[in-house]
Amino acid sequence: MSAALDVVDLHKSFATGRPAVDGVSFTVPAGEIVVLLGPSGCGKTTTLRCVAGLEHPTAGSISIGDRVVSAPGQGILVAPRHREIGMVFQSYAVWPHMTVRQNVVYPLKQRRTTRADADRKVAETLELVGLSEYADRSVVQLSGGQMQRVALARSLVYRPQLLLLDEPLSNLDAKLRLRLRDDLRRILKQTGMTALYVTHDQAEAVVLADRIGVMRDGKLLQMAPPADVYNRPADLFVANFTGASNLIEGRVAGRDGEFGVVEVKGGARVQAWLARSIAVGETVCVAVRPENVAIGTSNGSNAFTARIVGRRYQGTQTAYDIDLFGVRLEALELGTAARHEVGAEAPVSLSRDACWAYRDDKTATQE
Amino acid sequence: MTLLLCVLTFLVIYPMAMLLLGALTNTNPVVHGFGVLDLSLDNFVAVLANENVHAALFNSLIACTGGTALAVVIGLTFSWIVVRTNTPWKGFIAAVSMIPLFVPPLVAAVAWSILGSPKTGLINTIFRWAGLDWRIDLYSMSGLIVVFGMYYAPYVYMFTASALRNMDPSLEEASEIAGASAFRTLFTVTFPLIAPAIISGMLLSFVVMLGIYGIPAVLGAPANISVLTTYIFKLTAWNPPLYNTAAAVAIILMVVTAGLVVLQQRVLSGRSYATVAGKAFRPRSLDLGAWRWLTLGLAFVYLFVVVVLPTLALIVAAFRKFLFIRDAASLFDMKQYSMVHFDSVFDNPLTVRSIINTMEVGIVTALLGGVLAFAIGYTINRTRVAGRGSIDVLSTLPVAIPGLVIGVAYLWAWIGLPGGLYGTIWILALAFVARFMPDTVKALSTSFLQIHKELEEAAWICGKSLLGTIRTIVLPLASPGVIAAMTLLFVLAIRELGSSLFLYTSDTMVMAVLLLDYYEGGNTGKTAAFSLVQTVLLAVLIGIANWLSRDSAGSVGRTG
Repeated sequence: MSAALDVVDLHKSFATGRPAVDGVSFTVPAGEIVVLLGPSGCGKTTTLRCVAGLEHPTAGSISIGDRVVSAPGQGILVAPRHREIGMVFQSYAVWPHMTVRQNVVYPLKQRRTTRADADRKVAETLELVGLSEYADRSVVQLSGGQMQRVALARSLVYRPQLLLLDEPLSNLDAKLRLRLRDDLRRILKQTGMTALYVTHDQAEAVVLADRIGVMRDGKLLQMAPPADVYNRPADLFVANFTGASNLIEGRVAGRDGEFGVVEVKGGARVQAWLARSIAVGETVCVAVRPENVAIGTSNGSNAFTARIVGRRYQGTQTAYDIDLFGVRLEALELGTAARHEVGAEAPVSLSRDACWAYRDDKTATQE
Repeated sequence: MTLLLCVLTFLVIYPMAMLLLGALTNTNPVVHGFGVLDLSLDNFVAVLANENVHAALFNSLIACTGGTALAVVIGLTFSWIVVRTNTPWKGFIAAVSMIPLFVPPLVAAVAWSILGSPKTGLINTIFRWAGLDWRIDLYSMSGLIVVFGMYYAPYVYMFTASALRNMDPSLEEASEIAGASAFRTLFTVTFPLIAPAIISGMLLSFVVMLGIYGIPAVLGAPANISVLTTYIFKLTAWNPPLYNTAAAVAIILMVVTAGLVVLQQRVLSGRSYATVAGKAFRPRSLDLGAWRWLTLGLAFVYLFVVVVLPTLALIVAAFRKFLFIRDAASLFDMKQYSMVHFDSVFDNPLTVRSIINTMEVGIVTALLGGVLAFAIGYTINRTRVAGRGSIDVLSTLPVAIPGLVIGVAYLWAWIGLPGGLYGTIWILALAFVARFMPDTVKALSTSFLQIHKELEEAAWICGKSLLGTIRTIVLPLASPGVIAAMTLLFVLAIRELGSSLFLYTSDTMVMAVLLLDYYEGGNTGKTAAFSLVQTVLLAVLIGIANWLSRDSAGSVGRTG
């Protein structure tokens, strides 16, 4: 039922501007949830719409299961309705002139399902998304979250081979978003659906994904399980986009396997993980997540003393601006107590596993 | 404020009351004055029992229903082509779809009578010459329906095109993903979603067709098909004129129209499915492949049928000495062409007088109507005075009154008053001001809404009086809108036929009425020549209006 998705060297150019999708390849094995993550305009939605057949790729190929559905090189282009896929839209796209039941049964009507069978499937699916009591309501009476559940039911009811979700939660308010996000993963896993999910929200991506693909300017930068994307970002952009906002510039003074020593302007030396292609003597940028700046501890190889220059109490955590060998960094301290005063000196340690040195690429951090 | 209410009462309520009074009595105001009043429902009873009225009502309903059905097909097709497909030259098609709005109905009808009359029609001549056995006869109910449908399709187009444009394309995409074909999507998702717009456009075009006089007068009369509008006029043209009966029939027409307008407003204000999310959408266009040349072709056919063919017919008829065309060679024989019809049109002193009269009426209407609409628009949108609600209602009331009915009402209101307005161009101008008030006020209200209230409040704080603020702040900022509304009013006034019919005298003859006179006089050449004169005049004026409003759009952009 669920099938694998295979995208090979996908290109899509519109009439003007640079290509929207520029050589993207990835595979989603059957039953897996892959999230495409990136800032707006990175090509993630275009990629999804190419898979849906709503956009026509310029080059490359897309296969669902064993069937090639888009391959402009060979003149293959299967219409969306023949792809056996489901899709959930950002704007819900539930049909306001129909009831919940009419919306959900619509795809079954195109498939010659018997009446009894259709009724059973609709009931099952509504149960799955938690809308059993709402079957005969008009959809315009529902809240945004409920409408999106209708849209989900409508795209699951015929058990498509592949489910596409285009920023399904971004029109919802924050609280609802969290609930539906967790429900979504449970439902997808329960049905064993292969899913391709597009979002610009990294928190959503981390919770939902089996693997995350980070995109930028039409290119797929990294495709890996969430923990890998968070702990070993492939490049400076991925590091920055997923929250490593502290940057320390320096020069590689030595390398030993995966790790090395970066010498910072004032002469301080920082132990860091080095991206593969970096050689001794190169100028690099070390990215550090604010959560990984351990303030008040002095263990490990990268132990320094910093001065606190700013403090923002945020309730469950405190954000500090610290001055570490002339570089302004942000540090987060968990807990409801703020233990360091502005103007005071404090020991700071950076685990070498959490310091990632990349070739200095200015453009990466502009977004 | 009180002044405004008085003016509106004078313009709208008084004539309508007189119309109702006329319908309820048997007194002829010209002969008897208003001394004897004998109120009864006899006229209505007589009218409702009259078979001629039944026939006229029935014909009206058939013609308008058929015309509306055709208008929906044409309007919906073009709005879909323009908004939802990748047909080339969509801007051109969008313009073509709106063009019929600018064609005066009477001129269109005259042109089509030249093309499609059963014996001498140009189309039939060409068929005969080509040896084809086809004949068309537009002097018939189907002719009426076809011409109605072609020229009133823009009303449906306007509503459906904007509804389609505002519709979230993912609603259709969801249907395609769910497995529905493009065709099925169109009928189960797209059209049901824009149903309010379709119905609204339908009702509007129905109402307009119901109130139109020129087309049924030209195409229906030869075949003895009378509709409500032509029947009302016939009643007043008899000797002695049956003004009371005419008033009763006019009230029936008004009631039907008002009912439909109320229905249309209700549909419009009902929940609009199409704009649920209220954000801008990326337009979705269906790839038609080779079919897109067919859709482009359709637009050309429409342009040809609605504009090119009638214009050619008018040109041929106007410049040929005799309309009889033996064969195709004779069609291009330059010796057959001359200015003789133009000479005879302009030899008639009435022609020049009608042009001058029309311009005068147009200018007076534009000025009076513009000032009044400004006052009304300001009162409704910008003040909180008590009674502005009733001003709003009064000024939109004429929407539900066909032009012809306004004409009859004004006739009733003024014919009996000696030394009054009847027989001057002022009665025409006042009737036009009343008739087009809703359009003018609406056009102006949008420009009021664009001026932020705080701009005015700032002037008050600076110490300006209310009138001073209007003069120094509101008027300069709203002036582009005021100019646009006045030009619109001017153009509408100079092509108006329905209400003029009852209000003109030989001294105050206007172009539209004179054209009808020429047509009924039976001289096709003169009719065509005068139609061309009118068309060219209108085209020039509309061009100027467009140019003016483009200019004003620019300055609105600067101030906003």
